[in-house]
Amino acid sequence: MSFRKRGVVVPQSGSTNSSSPPPGSANKPTQTQAPPGTRPSPLDGRLTTSTGTRSLDSLLAGHSGLALGNSLLIEESGTTDFGGTLLKYYVAEGVVQKHVVHVLGVPEGWGRELPGLGLDDDDGRRKKKAADEDKMKIAWRYERLGEFGAGVGGARDRNVPQVTSATTSAPVFCHDFDLSKRLILPSPSNMHFVTLSVQPNLSFKDPDTSVSPFTKFIQHLAAQLSNTPPTTIHRVAIPSLLSPALYPSYASNPSHILQFLHGLRALLRKYPTQLTTLITIPLSLHPRTTGLTRWIELLSDGVLELAPFPASAVVIKPSGAATEHEEPPQGMLKIHRLPIFHEKGGGGGENSGSGDDMAFNLSRRKGMVIKPYSLPPVEADGEAQQGGLEGDDGKKATKVDLEF
Amino acid sequence: MASKIPPLLEPYLALPPEASLILLTNVLGASTNWLVLRFLHSTLATSSNSLEVHPEDETKVVFVSFLRDFAFWKDNARRLGLDLEKHAAKKSFAFVDGLSGLFLPKQQRPAVGPGETVLSSPSLTNVSEAILKAIQDVRGSSGAKGNVLLVVDQLDLLLAVAGNQVGAVNLEEMLAGLREEVHSAIITVSADHPLVSALQTPLETNHASFLVNIAHQADFIMGLRLLDSGTATDVSGVVRVTIGDQVAEDDDFRRKIDERELLYFVAGDGGVRVFERGQ
Repeated sequence: MSFRKRGVVVPQSGSTNSSSPPPGSANKPTQTQAPPGTRPSPLDGRLTTSTGTRSLDSLLAGHSGLALGNSLLIEESGTTDFGGTLLKYYVAEGVVQKHVVHVLGVPEGWGRELPGLGLDDDDGRRKKKAADEDKMKIAWRYERLGEFGAGVGGARDRNVPQVTSATTSAPVFCHDFDLSKRLILPSPSNMHFVTLSVQPNLSFKDPDTSVSPFTKFIQHLAAQLSNTPPTTIHRVAIPSLLSPALYPSYASNPSHILQFLHGLRALLRKYPTQLTTLITIPLSLHPRTTGLTRWIELLSDGVLELAPFPASAVVIKPSGAATEHEEPPQGMLKIHRLPIFHEKGGGGGENSGSGDDMAFNLSRRKGMVIKPYSLPPVEADGEAQQGGLEGDDGKKATKVDLEF
Repeated sequence: MASKIPPLLEPYLALPPEASLILLTNVLGASTNWLVLRFLHSTLATSSNSLEVHPEDETKVVFVSFLRDFAFWKDNARRLGLDLEKHAAKKSFAFVDGLSGLFLPKQQRPAVGPGETVLSSPSLTNVSEAILKAIQDVRGSSGAKGNVLLVVDQLDLLLAVAGNQVGAVNLEEMLAGLREEVHSAIITVSADHPLVSALQTPLETNHASFLVNIAHQADFIMGLRLLDSGTATDVSGVVRVTIGDQVAEDDDFRRKIDERELLYFVAGDGGVRVFERGQ
């Protein structure tokens, strides 16, 4: 009897209390439709994929990810390689999501240095991560409910699935990586390394500069894209484009590099639901004041510039304080162009995020974190500022005081 | 329908007089795409809406785009209520795709719909032949002297990718040849600072000389740039209208338009608001 009663009660409570099965089952078709590692943009529903860096995803004009069919150009001045790290996160995310990753211009050794998946061993971190995911999930469900369940679900109903979803394994859009680990590549690997058409030749002959060194790239990508089913997601990563360490000098001939980028753009547009690209370029060698760099930017959908602070300017805090405070920014990030947003007309707008000065910080575990730049409180007169600081984050200010 | 066109821009977007050339310049972050769409809309939508116009007199558009594919333009034109495919089927619109097939291997060429041509070689003779054919196609075999408006998006790409084989003069010649065949032409060119002021490499000198030459030929120039004082949340950029040397003061056309500088804002849904400073 008791068994039966429970049997009656449980489904009822399940449907009224949580109502999680209906949304869960309603979500399933869309989730199986979308290839792994993609989700629809909250703005216009086009599929986006993660760059492997959460804060970069959130920067891309409200699409919460890099929209498929778009390219991103990361420029970096100086001798640091923050851009290369971003690129490695992008590739690692692709490997984990089982996307087909094409790394152009570098030998295979590059792929052995990808950051490994971060382990959630300490509890606080896991909680935080779960909370992050929940937050994201609420947003997504909210979006979906808003579309076709607006009349049915109240605010309370929307809150419920979140509790259950913490335990279910929803596909992760953006993974956490740990820079101190190395990603174990699956075998067979889904990464393709394509080197330049022209290898440094040992016979002392001048290379034929009229042949584009990029032809192999385009041929490889075109063949790969046309030979895979339309649900396969491809990622193209090009580290240090036009760096003399990897490319012959005549690769910077506009007719070679710009034709290649134009062809790449054509491929991106031809496969708008399959392909994304991330390119890094060293700015010190190709300054933004040159026409060539400007054309490279014009041929890219998104252009971000990393301007790292000189090493001496980065404040290194004492180890005790560093754990409690946010880490100091290591450089500024300038947004010159964002995918889709600037193609339509762009400018300011609340979605562009370009109103704030953005700073970035790279740490072993959190990866690259991009956030609005704010000057740290002056520590010397912390007491004097305490009253003012308590207004927005008083907790932090008191912690500073306790330290001293 | 009229609300789709910002009222302040209406006199500029109206069909320009015969043999005129309009230059639209853009910079990184301030693209001319929305303005090109407004030109297409004001040309195609008004000519198909007004009933008095004789079908043979309606304005037709040949649109060449070197940086964007047809899907992008179709998609954004639809938001304005302009169905480019329908116009293509009616032969009042033709699209010449300078992106998809220019530098891709042969088997990658996409299938083309009606009124669509894909350029397969960046050589100027090839490009100009394809555009001329598209002009002839929309004009039709009857030889009706309909007005054909030629819109070329980022013609400067040909200059940039061709290396040393194409100079600014060659491109200008090609453009002059095309202009002979059409009623008027609208060209968009990048006018970023590094492209017009560096003048170090052949790429930069060619670009600058092409841009300056076109600017002097143009009847009027609409230059888009970012706000000088930094980004704002409700302003996307500045549009500066400059009237060319060739438009005489007493001209009928000259009376309709004047030189001014306006602000514009492109909203997330693609809607555009144009206003004066301080409004």
